[in-house]
Amino acid sequence: MSVLPHWVSRPVLAAFLVALAIGAVLPPVLRWSVYTQNLVTLTYLFVAAALAWNWLGGYLGQVSFGHSAMFGVGGFVSARLLLALHLPFWLAWIAGGLVAGLYALLWGHPTLRLRGPYFSIATIGVGEATRLILTYWEGLTGGSSGLSLPIEANLKQTLYFWGLGLMGIVAAASYAMRKSSFGLGLLAIKSDVDAAADVGIAPTFMQDLVLFLSGLAVGITGAFYASYFSFIEPGDMFGFDRSISFVLMAVIGGVGTIVGPALGAVVFVMLRQFLIGSYPQLYLGLYGFLLIVVILFEPLGMVGLFFRIARRTGLVRPELEATLEAKAAPGGAVGEGRTGGME
Amino acid sequence: MQRFAELLVAAVLLAGLYATMAYGLGLIYGVLRVVNLNHGGVIMAGAYLGWVLHEKLGIDPYVSIPLVVVASFLIGIVVYRGLVRHLPRGAAGAVQSLLLLFGVWLVLRNAAYLLFTGNDQTIRTPYSTESVRAMGISLSVNRLAVFGIAVLTLVLLHLFLTRTFTGKAIRAVAQNPDSCTLVGVDVERIYTLTFGLGSALAGLAGLLGATLFSFSPSFGSVELLKSFVIVVLGGLGSVMGTAAAALVLAVVEVFAILLLPAYLTAAVGFVLLVLVLVFRPGGLFGQRVLG
Repeated sequence: MSVLPHWVSRPVLAAFLVALAIGAVLPPVLRWSVYTQNLVTLTYLFVAAALAWNWLGGYLGQVSFGHSAMFGVGGFVSARLLLALHLPFWLAWIAGGLVAGLYALLWGHPTLRLRGPYFSIATIGVGEATRLILTYWEGLTGGSSGLSLPIEANLKQTLYFWGLGLMGIVAAASYAMRKSSFGLGLLAIKSDVDAAADVGIAPTFMQDLVLFLSGLAVGITGAFYASYFSFIEPGDMFGFDRSISFVLMAVIGGVGTIVGPALGAVVFVMLRQFLIGSYPQLYLGLYGFLLIVVILFEPLGMVGLFFRIARRTGLVRPELEATLEAKAAPGGAVGEGRTGGME
Repeated sequence: MQRFAELLVAAVLLAGLYATMAYGLGLIYGVLRVVNLNHGGVIMAGAYLGWVLHEKLGIDPYVSIPLVVVASFLIGIVVYRGLVRHLPRGAAGAVQSLLLLFGVWLVLRNAAYLLFTGNDQTIRTPYSTESVRAMGISLSVNRLAVFGIAVLTLVLLHLFLTRTFTGKAIRAVAQNPDSCTLVGVDVERIYTLTFGLGSALAGLAGLLGATLFSFSPSFGSVELLKSFVIVVLGGLGSVMGTAAAALVLAVVEVFAILLLPAYLTAAVGFVLLVLVLVFRPGGLFGQRVLG
């Protein structure tokens, strides 16, 4: 007898709740400086964004180079709502996220039907077109000078906990989306759309739903970002760098896995903080280099590396690892590509 | 009417450059089924190489064409032999090669920032501002030269692909690599050559573009997307198709200036890319991609 769905593992649930509780009591216990707390909040934010990107890019295998579009739309819509209607910020975030999700559906519904790399290519166009058009649309974004939100006392203290909660919800959704039968359907679609449709999965509906949810979550993180920094401008929100940061976090951590993008986001934010301080001109190239190394040697990123080490030391049963790798590898079942040779 | 004619001529001249840069991307995709996201990186590298040769050694950009072409050919070979070759082919490799080549592009871009800073650069020659008048329309000498070189390149490429053994082998590998292996074509060698050739075209396009426009390390990203639009529109393998698609894009862009504020004309290419992928995917690289 259990109120939990059968796919929820009790140890994982316990670990998750403990981690959230630790996150909630850390700032008062450790007396973090403002700098540290900012960094940790930012990490929560990007963990949420990378996980949400991974729903589409990892679970469905449709790599998006244009998620900055939803990040920016969510940010600016919620900022406008905060300025015009003085809504509570969480309500503005949800509204911004919904608009971002609908915007994702608007361009994504037709382009998700494209096979292979064409979706990715279309997303580059979507991201850049959105940046240019919304920078021009001053009524929404304030043009290149951006928007300022009123600064409230102690807002950042409050937002730390909201960030933790947001990350918790997105992480729980990532777990549910992978472990439930819905996740099984996504795996089937990623491996073979036609075969999935043959066995009674509705690929169009499921792809659209995942895209909408991914856009919604990334839109909310964009709205959070706007509230947190009290100032946003289109070049930063919609930039191509923003889009690729989501890709990099997920790929470095382990695309398609549940925890990979979160690990990748932590590394990304820390590395970025360090590099921006010391070598501001080097960090994009370093990410490029990391991307090359990961794809060539460990397509499952840090998670793959972990399994490699675990295998050497005999911590993980090989068959468990094999199933995980085949499911998560970018572009579908791994074995197919290696043995398939030239088509 | 005068303005219309001027814009039309400008579009035609621009189309030559567009066709050159798009053909390299289409060639690599058609033969290897790899989307070369590093295309933009090589375009940028070609521009800077031409700039360095002109600025430091005083070599005229048009004289440095062979040097730049050879250098970008070598970049392509190194990228293929060193990186792309090790990825699985087919569906599994598609996303991986996309990310890998994207990584190469980031590295190249960052290298350019380190070497040349992020400032805009231009290649200025004594004849940069020269123009000739024909039928009441003034034509920039530079643009005419770029157009001429682009057309010449495409004609040579067409002859190479249809008349020589190697060219025919490239086209055969695009159709069926397994059969090519059976009849004794070294498929791996053809792949290497094709990747080099595609890169060489990108480098040439970068150099030609640099004689017309200012550029910075992020030069190439817009060009990459425009190349996609053209390849998507024109289909693969046919020089004529590529040229026609390049003309369509150039005309749409140039005439958008009449309707849209200047700032937004840059978005036209991107919007067109998405629209073409959505409504005309059948023309994509000469094959159907929609289920």
